Amino acid sequence: MESKFTEVYQKGPDDSYDTDCSKVSEMLDLIIDGEATSEEEKYFNTHLEECVSCFESHQKQKLLKGIISGHLKRVIVPESLALSIRAKIQETL
Amino acid sequence: MSEQTGKQLSKEEKDARFEAELLPVLDPLYNFAYRLTLDEDDANDLVQETYLKAYRFFDYFEQGTNAKAWLFRILKNSFINEFRKKSKQPAKVDYSEVEGYYNSEDVEGEGGVASTTDMRTESVQDLIGDEVASALNALPVDFRTVIILCDLEGFTYEEMAKILDIPIGTVRSRLHRARNSLKEKLEKYAKSMGYNS
Repeated sequence: MESKFTEVYQKGPDDSYDTDCSKVSEMLDLIIDGEATSEEEKYFNTHLEECVSCFESHQKQKLLKGIISGHLKRVIVPESLALSIRAKIQETL
Repeated sequence: MSEQTGKQLSKEEKDARFEAELLPVLDPLYNFAYRLTLDEDDANDLVQETYLKAYRFFDYFEQGTNAKAWLFRILKNSFINEFRKKSKQPAKVDYSEVEGYYNSEDVEGEGGVASTTDMRTESVQDLIGDEVASALNALPVDFRTVIILCDLEGFTYEEMAKILDIPIGTVRSRLHRARNSLKEKLEKYAKSMGYNS
């Protein structure tokens, strides 16, 4: 662990670390929406294994999507709507 | 029944296909209309208008292609052209204001009030639903739209780009900002319910 930190430090202040995290954070939506390529997914998962903060961001993003799709109530279509659409079509055309 | 581009359909064919391919989309279409207009009567009018247009332009619709995406696109265009002006929209929030809001730290000190609430009860589930709805409804309509299309209706980015007439890059950035804003609103709510993230 220690040598890794030294290595990163020697490369310049947090440079590679920040780049990875910001890349991964830009991929969050692609990943949870199933739009990432397999390469992107691989890169993403590898990074998550070693970065707790990105791991947590991913959990939060997934949770948010789940809350929206799971908790937002669907409105019920008025029964008369299909009938009135059919009627309007027949009378106007 | 093979499809030829530009082929004129007989009225019977048209009616049969309308029933089989377009009317089954009524439920998601009405929900989309309602989430855009936030008004049942407006949603009704918007959906009726969408179906009338779809029937009129049915010859342009290629059988076997995505009827749902096609109808959503017609509805969204109708909404922009006619309804947006007159419907009872909440005031439009400036994007930068939304982003600034996301960074604010004034969430401390509001928690604790409802911290003993049992999250498993049905009424709490309803409360969460209401809270999600109000967070979503408070978003600017362009942001709300991408959330609905993506998270509720499961459209792909490419389909969303076609429905909304915008590049995929714009779809992604809207989605990103919309989610940041929702996250902020809902995290605040979670804290007020005694959940600390």
